[in-house]
Amino acid sequence: MEKCFHCGDDCRDELILHREKNFCCTGCKTVFDILQDNDLSYYYDLEKNPGISPKVSEDKYDFLQNESIQEKLLDFNDGNHQIVSFVIPSIHCSSCIWILENLNKLNKAVNSSQVDFPKKTVRISFSSKDFSLRDLVLLLSRLGYDPYISLEDYDEKKANIDRSLIYKLGVAGFAFGNVMFLSFPEYFEVEEFWLEQYKGVFRWLMFAFSLPVVLYSGWDYFTTAYKGLRSKMLNIDIPIALGIAVLFLRSSAEIILDLGTGFFDSLTGLVFFLLLGRFFQQKTYAYLSFERDYKSYFPIAVTRINTEEGKITEEQVQVYEIEKGDRIIIRNEELIPMDAILIKGNALIDYSFVTGEAEPVEKISGDKLFAGGRQQGGIIEIEALKPVKQSYLTQLWSDEVFSKDKRGTFQTLTNKISRRFTTAVLSIAFIATLFWLIYDPSKALNVFTAVLIIACPCAIALAAPFTLGNLLRIFGSNKLYLKEASVIEQIAEVDTIVFDKTGTITSNKRNTITYEGIELNPSEEEMLGSSLRASNHPLSRALYELLKKHNIATPDEFKELTGKGIESSYKGSRMKIGSESFVRENASANVATLEKPNKTAVHVSTNNNYKGCYVFQNAYREGISELFEELGQDKELVILSGDNDGEKENLQRFLPEKTQLFFNQKPQDKLDFIKKLQQQGKNVMMVGDGLNDAGALAQSNVGFVVSENINVFSPACDGILDAERFKSFSRFLQLSTKGIQVIKWSFLLSLCYNIIGLAFAVTGHLSPIVAAILMPLSSISIVVFTSIVTYRLGKKLKSE
Amino acid sequence: MEIIYMLLAISVVVALIFFVAFIFSVRKGQYDDMYTPSVRMLFDDELVKPKTENNKSTKHE
Amino acid sequence: MEVQQFYYDNKIVKKFIVATMFWGIVGMSVGLLLAFMFLFPNLTDGISWLSFGRLRPLHTNAVIFAFVGNAIFAGVYYSTQRLLKARMFSDVLSNINFWGWQAIIVGAAITLPLGFTSSKEYAELEWPFDIAIAVIWVAFGVNLIGTILRRRQRHLYVAIWFYLATFVTVAVLHIFNNIQLPVSALKSYSVYAGVQDALVQWWYGHNAVAFFLTTPFLGLMYYFVPKAANRPVYSYRLSIIHFWSLIFIYIWAGPHHLLYSSLPDWAQNLGVAFSVMLLFPSWGGMINGLLTLRGAWDKVRVDPVLKFMVVAITGYGMATFEGPMLSLKNINAVAHFSDWIIAHVHVGALAWNGFLTFGMIYWLVPQLFKTKLYSIKLANAHFWIGTVGIIMYALPMYVAGFVQASMWKQFNPDGTLVYGNFLETVTEIIPMYWMRAIGGSLFILGAFIMLYNIVKTAKKGSEVSDELAEAAALAPVTSKRTTGEAYHSWLERRPVQLTIFATIAILIGGIVQIIPSLMVDEYVPKITSVKPYTPLELEGRDLYIREGCVSCHSQMVRPFRSEVERYGEYSKAGEFVYDHPFLWGSKRTGPDLLRIGGKYSDNWHLNHMYDPQSTSSGSIMPAYQWLVKQELDKSDTEAKMRAMVQLGVPYTEEEIEKAQQWMTEQGTQIEENLYSDPDFVKTYEADKKYAAENNLEFTEMRNREIVALIAYLQRLGTDIKVKNAKEISSN
Repeated sequence: MEKCFHCGDDCRDELILHREKNFCCTGCKTVFDILQDNDLSYYYDLEKNPGISPKVSEDKYDFLQNESIQEKLLDFNDGNHQIVSFVIPSIHCSSCIWILENLNKLNKAVNSSQVDFPKKTVRISFSSKDFSLRDLVLLLSRLGYDPYISLEDYDEKKANIDRSLIYKLGVAGFAFGNVMFLSFPEYFEVEEFWLEQYKGVFRWLMFAFSLPVVLYSGWDYFTTAYKGLRSKMLNIDIPIALGIAVLFLRSSAEIILDLGTGFFDSLTGLVFFLLLGRFFQQKTYAYLSFERDYKSYFPIAVTRINTEEGKITEEQVQVYEIEKGDRIIIRNEELIPMDAILIKGNALIDYSFVTGEAEPVEKISGDKLFAGGRQQGGIIEIEALKPVKQSYLTQLWSDEVFSKDKRGTFQTLTNKISRRFTTAVLSIAFIATLFWLIYDPSKALNVFTAVLIIACPCAIALAAPFTLGNLLRIFGSNKLYLKEASVIEQIAEVDTIVFDKTGTITSNKRNTITYEGIELNPSEEEMLGSSLRASNHPLSRALYELLKKHNIATPDEFKELTGKGIESSYKGSRMKIGSESFVRENASANVATLEKPNKTAVHVSTNNNYKGCYVFQNAYREGISELFEELGQDKELVILSGDNDGEKENLQRFLPEKTQLFFNQKPQDKLDFIKKLQQQGKNVMMVGDGLNDAGALAQSNVGFVVSENINVFSPACDGILDAERFKSFSRFLQLSTKGIQVIKWSFLLSLCYNIIGLAFAVTGHLSPIVAAILMPLSSISIVVFTSIVTYRLGKKLKSE
Repeated sequence: MEIIYMLLAISVVVALIFFVAFIFSVRKGQYDDMYTPSVRMLFDDELVKPKTENNKSTKHE
Repeated sequence: MEVQQFYYDNKIVKKFIVATMFWGIVGMSVGLLLAFMFLFPNLTDGISWLSFGRLRPLHTNAVIFAFVGNAIFAGVYYSTQRLLKARMFSDVLSNINFWGWQAIIVGAAITLPLGFTSSKEYAELEWPFDIAIAVIWVAFGVNLIGTILRRRQRHLYVAIWFYLATFVTVAVLHIFNNIQLPVSALKSYSVYAGVQDALVQWWYGHNAVAFFLTTPFLGLMYYFVPKAANRPVYSYRLSIIHFWSLIFIYIWAGPHHLLYSSLPDWAQNLGVAFSVMLLFPSWGGMINGLLTLRGAWDKVRVDPVLKFMVVAITGYGMATFEGPMLSLKNINAVAHFSDWIIAHVHVGALAWNGFLTFGMIYWLVPQLFKTKLYSIKLANAHFWIGTVGIIMYALPMYVAGFVQASMWKQFNPDGTLVYGNFLETVTEIIPMYWMRAIGGSLFILGAFIMLYNIVKTAKKGSEVSDELAEAAALAPVTSKRTTGEAYHSWLERRPVQLTIFATIAILIGGIVQIIPSLMVDEYVPKITSVKPYTPLELEGRDLYIREGCVSCHSQMVRPFRSEVERYGEYSKAGEFVYDHPFLWGSKRTGPDLLRIGGKYSDNWHLNHMYDPQSTSSGSIMPAYQWLVKQELDKSDTEAKMRAMVQLGVPYTEEEIEKAQQWMTEQGTQIEENLYSDPDFVKTYEADKKYAAENNLEFTEMRNREIVALIAYLQRLGTDIKVKNAKEISSN
């Protein structure tokens, strides 16, 4: 099949030949023309079929005319010059960067635009004299780069990026380099002539360099240690802070009293390595957000219809301002922001956002519509039943799970260890000191400090960050994106996994369609095909895809009755396609209705003879039963489905029988279910996809979202898994547990170093050079060890 | 060997300059986006514009 | 704010490329000539300005500052404009930079062969040129920083950072290493003496390599490799880490060039430590460069530009791996003073600098002339010939290095040296010198092929001297709601201003630091027997400098048994307190001369200078007959002595008054010594008679240059007599 020159998709229903190139739709063709005419065709030289097929609906962005909304969106505005930043999910290649940074070639009003590829944002500055924000957005969306403007943007802008860690790292690294430079000489030459002359200078310089390291770079360790003590928690930072303090004090004392060089190099090195660990641990997938709630889905404004004394006016209002009873217009592709009743128009609502259910449902005037549904097709008019915040879906966020931070209570492995470690160290320190007080008091202080220095658990503190950091990256490269490294530790502890059904274990892309009833003869199938082709109803489309092989003839007569189906005639024979009731009315029932109450189906009759129906079933992801087998071995498995139990038998057939199945679960139910499990002392992992799982995801110890397309936002969670890797889900879990073992091993390793060091320390033989060798050696070997092991683990995963 | 003082001073000062430069560049968000610049530098802006020699456009600030 | 149109200045780039190719070929040819002088010592028989000692600095300077220098400017001027989306700050400055730089090079090409040299490696040029260099360099810096201020692209691409670092550090290094006290228009003395001078010189020497041959080229690599491969650098993050770590470490690594010298051990160890640490950032950069071409190896196979770059980067990797190894004491003990170092530097120069430059030119010229390269075939030919050339050059030199170094160190069971006569160790490696010469010729052949190819390409294309581009000026936004990065234009400029101020600050700070070191140095332990040179010796020493003896003869006996056995007691820091500049040398093509004093008769020296092979057959030292004929210029002697006094050499005013007389006395003494040789008497008297008959004016031997040189050589190392050499050598 021809590929579209612009977007690279298959040219399905239409094929436009234009300037001897193929296009899948007029949209793509238009973009191509725009670029051609402004000789920006370099766009196509950079990458192959880089484009995105645009779906423009001019009035979609009308709300941008609203002043207050503009104010909210703009970064800067001085009347005739404005700057705005947009998130554009469809940014995906260097062509995108290029075209977006050459916007001014398309419209002179645009001055400059800068793309941040990792964040998928573009920052545009334009002169707003004769070019409005709306014009800009339309320009973008005409090119297929629809900016993502959501309610989120309305609430205050997030604070600047926190770069303090980089500064701290910089300071530490800088000081470390210099201090090493200055302390080196004394290691080699003890009584060297010139050195004697310069020791003083060197030592004080080192002191100067180490000051910012202790007071700025390393300061966090003191604060956290203090916090830990206050909350009676012996966390890892306590021995570290102790180490840093002692290192600094003793070193300073040494140079003041001219006893030696001190341990400034070890000190700066220690802090540097620790911060390096922290830095390494944080890997953010800038374009993914793990904090999303309904706000990021909902439109910032809607069109309200006001009827003052008879005359009807439309106005763009901020969604929060909508109250019960307001009349609202929802256009094609627009989201319904609150629970409402359909007044006019043919509603075809796609709830995939909410439930993951692929097939849109039709609603007729008077039906209740739930917030989060997306209208497809024509314009509809609805009446709000509740304001946004109290709608069926959105009220979920009033639950306190969303306010409390779940990481708070979690005890990391490192901290568990450090409890014993710290006590051990301190006791050793005191015993050794006691010993020396008796035998040789002069050495006591030396030993005491030495023990605290050498026992400073640099290596231990590094083990987790590097292991987890590595895993984080490995997962990332295998399309499992975690919110933060500590999630891995929690994955390892999970004993119960709860799955959502629709959209999670089923794919909402592929459908299996089965025909049940009397075989259709070729001519009938042909006619069916032709009729379906003329219809825009998604079910028709899906069905048409299935039958497309047939040669298409245009029906002589074609009638589409919304909410019912299609009625068409061709060469004298008539055909009805659609809902059972519609098809069956005055049709000879020579076929008994096959009882499929809860299934989406398209029924067919020819010349008033009921033939049968095409039943749509959403397909389960491949390898699902193997996956459940594997997981079932050591974990409890539950399936919570929002829909009816139509699939029950089917599921039971291929899932391990001890899998528990629950249906008709409302969002709140799911949340409570998880809570219940946790009260039974279970470590629960929730795997879901839609907003309706948001509560459960937040409540669970670990919440994963399965997503067909990670550019489309997914609700707040700890990890986003690309659907195509769903089958290797259990691998990820195993890997996490392995990772924890790696950390434990490296604890042992670093313990060995500590013991060696302690030998020096308690005997009072700790010289700066020993420290200077031991400290980096232990740290580096930990880093090397963890990276090698994790790398090998990662290899295994890749080979999947 | 006072020379050492000089070399020390110079080395440290030079290092300091770069350190300050480093801090400032981070401050300015130079390193917030660690990918796009590497792609951006590949674009030839000459390619975009058809060469219209003569009539040197005067820079307007 | 608004979108502006502007033109990139391609003319200046083109000029620099032309200069690069021209000086490249000149510099290499001189090198080749030198290579052949190893095989035919008297190739340029009797022509003083073509003698090895005088051409060697010309070679190094031409290659480093003319070839590489111009290449840097070409690349920087091209990439900077495009990376910053702005024309260079000032065309005037650009041209000052270009013509000034060329003028300096021409000056060097004239003065160095004439023997005007400060003898400090890579800084041989005399003080007027040093000033000129500083000025031009600053012009370049202003131009660069000005462009940064006028930029239309907020983000400074990593290459720009490398350029900035190059400017700042090279400026500082150059200035501090070249603080000299002028005696006359083209003669000056380094203000530092002996050990200190050595320390500063190699602190400079190393960083010259670091910041002139490495950082700018890394910048070029980060621009031209992605451009040529048309794919982004493997990891931009890594490249930034590469830059900062390199910057923070490089500056320290100087003193390893003086391992086992009379430099304080701790300073040496320091150098070692940091050189070793350097390995990491360097290799980080190399890997980043190579991985940029991952998945593009098919391109590499067909595109000569990428081929050149791959070899260049690989060469960088090898050189930066070898460097730290060489800085390890035990390896350095072998490699130092030997041809190994020559191999090392040429891997760097030929592969890293040379090939990257070639690759850059092959890519750049078609861009500038809006056409395709004239012949890919020829470019490939150049590539292969060049590569073979590098190998043919480097390998033999490594072998030569090992062989010679090991021969220097071999002992007989009875404790005597196996190769007591240095000459044996020289004749042994002549075949290697042959191969080196061939390798070098190949490399130059390649360069010529490139020249032809490029000229053809230029002819074929149409040059665009000013290239139109357009971009929006950086918007200086002042707003209550500036999110993300700060936009204030003043903040924009701040770091740059800061760099400038800070640089000035160091300069001042540095000057302040020097003043104490201008006074003679009480920390260097005094050796009472060490006395200043007599006026004649001083003049002789200046001849030694003029003829560039230092490029083949070291004056630094390292504390090894083998060296003490061969040359005499090892060097003490105290011996050099009056040496402005130091003459330790870095290469032993000939034997060390520190303890030469008194080893041979004055006649031997005379004959040896007149015809080296006559006294030591098989020697590859060229003849210095003009020394024997020319009259010594004594006009500046007093001035020189006064300068020395300023630098802390204790000449009394009376001594300076009597300088002329003193010289004549010492000269006459030596002349008498020479009379002890009948052959000398015969020829000398003959000359005298001949001159008298044809009443030509005749210079007495006592007034000739050779006498001064002999005086100096006979003085060398005699201040401390070799009494306890044995017991030292035993431990």
